[in-house]
Amino acid sequence: MPEKVALKGLAAADKYYQDYGLRARELKKQGKKVIGYLCAFTPAEIITAAGFIPFRIKGDVDEPITKADTEMETIICPLVRSCFDMALKGNYEFLDGLVVPHACDSICRTYDIWKYTLNLPYSHFINMPHGTDDASLGFYREVLDTFRTSLGKFAGKEISDQALAGAIKLHNQNRAKVKELYQLRKSSPPLISGEELTKVLIAAMSLPVEESIEMLGDVIAEVKGRGGLSARKQARIMVIGAQVDDIAFIKLIEDSGAWVVADDLCPGAREFLALVDVSADPLAGLAERYLRKVKCGRTYREMKGNYQEYLEDRFGHMGRMIDDFGVDGVVLYIYKYCDPYGFEVPQIKSYIEAKGTPVLYLEDEYSMSTIGRLRTRIQAFLELLGSK
Amino acid sequence: MSQYFAGVDIGSTMTKVVIMNQSVLASVIGPTGPEHRKLANRVMEEALEKAKLPFEEITYVVATGYGRINVPFADKQITEISCHAKGVAYLLPEARTVIDIGGQDSKGIKLKDGRAVDFVMNDKCAAGTGRFLEVAAEELGVKLEDMGKLSLEARNTVRISNTCTVFATQEVVGKLSEGAALPDIVAGLHEAIATRIYGMLRRLKIEREVALTGGGAKNIGLVRALEAKLGFAVLVPPEPLLTGAIGAALLGKDIVKEAEKKGTPLPRAERRLQEATLFT
Amino acid sequence: MTEEKKPEERKKRRTATEAASNIGPMVKTMIREVLEAKETKKPIAYSFICCCYDEIIRAMDIVPHWVENYAGICGAKRDAQRFLERAEAENFSRSLCTYALCGLGFDAWREELGEMPPESPWGGQVKPDVMLGSGQMLCDPRNKWFQAAQHYMPDVPVYDVGLPWPAYESDYDYRQVQDYYVKYIVKELKGLVKFLEKHTGKKMDWERLSELVALTDKTWDLIWETYELRRAVPSPMGTGDAMNTMVPIVFMMGTQQAYDFFQDLNKELKQKIANKEGEVPDEKYRLLWGGGLPAWFALSDFNYFNSKGAVFPVETTYRMIEATYNFDIDLSQISDPLEHIAWRWVKFWTYWHDRARKRPGSHPDVERLIKYIEDYKIDGIVMHEAFSCRSWHPGLIWQLNLLKKVYRDIPSLVLESDIVDISSYNEADTRTRIDAFIDTLEAVKR
Repeated sequence: MPEKVALKGLAAADKYYQDYGLRARELKKQGKKVIGYLCAFTPAEIITAAGFIPFRIKGDVDEPITKADTEMETIICPLVRSCFDMALKGNYEFLDGLVVPHACDSICRTYDIWKYTLNLPYSHFINMPHGTDDASLGFYREVLDTFRTSLGKFAGKEISDQALAGAIKLHNQNRAKVKELYQLRKSSPPLISGEELTKVLIAAMSLPVEESIEMLGDVIAEVKGRGGLSARKQARIMVIGAQVDDIAFIKLIEDSGAWVVADDLCPGAREFLALVDVSADPLAGLAERYLRKVKCGRTYREMKGNYQEYLEDRFGHMGRMIDDFGVDGVVLYIYKYCDPYGFEVPQIKSYIEAKGTPVLYLEDEYSMSTIGRLRTRIQAFLELLGSK
Repeated sequence: MSQYFAGVDIGSTMTKVVIMNQSVLASVIGPTGPEHRKLANRVMEEALEKAKLPFEEITYVVATGYGRINVPFADKQITEISCHAKGVAYLLPEARTVIDIGGQDSKGIKLKDGRAVDFVMNDKCAAGTGRFLEVAAEELGVKLEDMGKLSLEARNTVRISNTCTVFATQEVVGKLSEGAALPDIVAGLHEAIATRIYGMLRRLKIEREVALTGGGAKNIGLVRALEAKLGFAVLVPPEPLLTGAIGAALLGKDIVKEAEKKGTPLPRAERRLQEATLFT
Repeated sequence: MTEEKKPEERKKRRTATEAASNIGPMVKTMIREVLEAKETKKPIAYSFICCCYDEIIRAMDIVPHWVENYAGICGAKRDAQRFLERAEAENFSRSLCTYALCGLGFDAWREELGEMPPESPWGGQVKPDVMLGSGQMLCDPRNKWFQAAQHYMPDVPVYDVGLPWPAYESDYDYRQVQDYYVKYIVKELKGLVKFLEKHTGKKMDWERLSELVALTDKTWDLIWETYELRRAVPSPMGTGDAMNTMVPIVFMMGTQQAYDFFQDLNKELKQKIANKEGEVPDEKYRLLWGGGLPAWFALSDFNYFNSKGAVFPVETTYRMIEATYNFDIDLSQISDPLEHIAWRWVKFWTYWHDRARKRPGSHPDVERLIKYIEDYKIDGIVMHEAFSCRSWHPGLIWQLNLLKKVYRDIPSLVLESDIVDISSYNEADTRTRIDAFIDTLEAVKR
């Protein structure tokens, strides 16, 4: 392994979080190729299998969006605009390629803008279907095969089933580590704060999978070995939302006097906890995982059974997490212009409230200036939970 | 020895203080603003003077409102949501829903057993807050406090379709030049705010009775416009501006009583009446 | 509790063609037929435009209720706000697709009342028997809207048709993947037929389907030929009218009525051209409506353009057809109707790919603009950015930038508002921008 930051565990995570892309820049200097991607629906396994470093592009809530607006309409998801703004400002100049999955309109419809503006040596759009029926699954496998062939061409060598199987194993290990880390949130107080955990997961998005596994292992050992967090009795909060790739919001909740102990977020439980089945056909295993196992608002799950069963199928995992992690209240945190999640708000809210857990629904714009405005709502929500 | 509780509510436009024991002993209302960093202090001193009490006699101080974090002499900060809920439960026990219309924000609160159980809040868009009327009043050359009465004189309410304050102001100018009568336009503005507030409020599934608090409750035009939306009359406390401060004082009292009951020590702030530093 | 009062109705927009002026009554009839179908218990499907299933539902005698159309009507009548506000009260963000918000607000209200909301535009939107959504590729609300509507109508089943098309890529040609795209779409359409048979009790009449598919091809060709007539100088018909004549294109495809309508329009345009009768008496500027759905409540802005001597002989919006004989395959050789539909779909969406490959750095969307600029002798481009729609409106600025880079500089104007939500619209500001744009066109001409 080439040289890395001498820090370990939480300190390393903090460093990689603060200086996002640090490791990718180092590896790039050593001759490695880095493929940037948007959204967790990019099967990073295929990028790893090709011998490249998958690197998830993130935004920055502290950085006002200035450059992006000359190419990208302001009616697009503010997170996507922030990511693009960061790219235009040279934060991701080390990328050799860009992979964009058909996640949502804000991502799908801006692919050309990204592609033509960044003009990287490699770019590819993964046309992931929305449905999860057999026909969609079959189609998606073909789409992944097209990606595999295309990326193989860029790599100068075909991506073999064997290489894919190896990469799948690694990414599964990485996810298993995250799952282990989540177990440390279950105690009261949790062993790791929401802010720390979010930092770790974000840092992981910027590392080669082997290094991510190592960092996660170190974090787990460190957290288990250190003294617990303050034993104050505080509300245990779960955050549900689309992509939260910054600690600001989680920190705001915890600074208001609560623990964030569970989530259905990305990065977070939604994308990390589902594993890829190791099957004879690795692409089929990948298709199955990304299309059927990861439950995101962008995917259309067909209704089987009655409506109540349908809600269970779509949101049951949220309910189970509330029980498993002893959640007192849920914050539903949705960005403006988010069609995939915006349309689910009444259903998610009523599903969770019917289970007896209060929900605070917040709409935000992915900017530090707006996050602060949410403070009073969060504090009031915590007061309301406290007086129950 | 009797106990005294103070509630300090620093809103975006007005600062309110009450001192209570069994009932309200003294209250003061003064404007907030960039020049009023020292205001929390001064208003508090004024209230103490009225109540003829030294600060040391106050058992517990709760700060609330948008500037609550910047009241160094407060023992605890509690959000305006909880304080308005408490205040309304005390002043108008029959209320189940609270609408608070402030200078820069508006909120709806659902009450159950005298406590907030759900709430909605608007603070990002001036439409639906007092700010909207303030901007429009200036554009129309009407005194803000006259707007409500003027709206009652409307014969043919003008529909204002823009919800953005800037757009709506332009629209108002347009309507004026088209020859619409001033009261009709003013009524249209009230109707537009009421629509925004009502829309927000409906997220709570409104239950009767509905109490109206904050500066907006002093505007008769707005009260009528909201009642038209709701289809029934609302309740307004005698001094709607003081609701949050009263709630804050009462919550302070609850905290003290709870601590006494349990025999736990009461965590107090450093007892110094010093400058409140807003906008730090 | 009282609800938002219904505002006064707007005056009808002036149309240039006789045909376009007939559209209003046609839509009214269409809505009435859905209301009657409800009375007579015919199966009704909530439907989206451009979802490949026009001929399928027609062949099965299922009555479509076009939800986007109904929201557009509410918008055009300036009576959408009360439904948008209702959706907001349900906790839907006002930043979401306002077609969907209007429809969901209406449904939530109707289901709560157990009857149509008071003074519903044109009689209202009925509760359907099935809802037909679509995953890929047009927009997210197509697979979220009906799912969200089940919150109010949990007993109404939804089918979501997967309808992808290949992206324009530099590393491969769409022809390398088109077979598996078609295969998938055919499977999805088969699934739709099965779903409809199960939930409506109607049987597919395959022979009739084949006839309707052929009729659609014929109609596409006729529409293309008719719209190409607008190349004439002066142009006999503008985009303002085309925002009416889109009705048979997107709501009546697969019906004889749509074909007949365009035959009439074709005749009318030929007559106007023979008489040298343009949309405006003194045509000064020829503009391309280069993207964006229109603000349905402000179609009279097209008249405002006309008043300045500006006409729109062509638009990209709702020109959802190509001449099928220009495709690189002979559709008539594909006898299976579902396969036929799938190939037509893929060929439509990849139609401009080959032209883009020929011009370095270009893109299919930009090629389409270039072709129209040349064919229709265009002086300037106008686009509309509707804040609530992330389907057609992302990439407009970028397209204009790219056009300048690979082709040439051409005056352009991007208007900002919405499709349905009038609170986003500022007439004075819009007209000031139009005036400034006309000044630019004039300066460039000199």
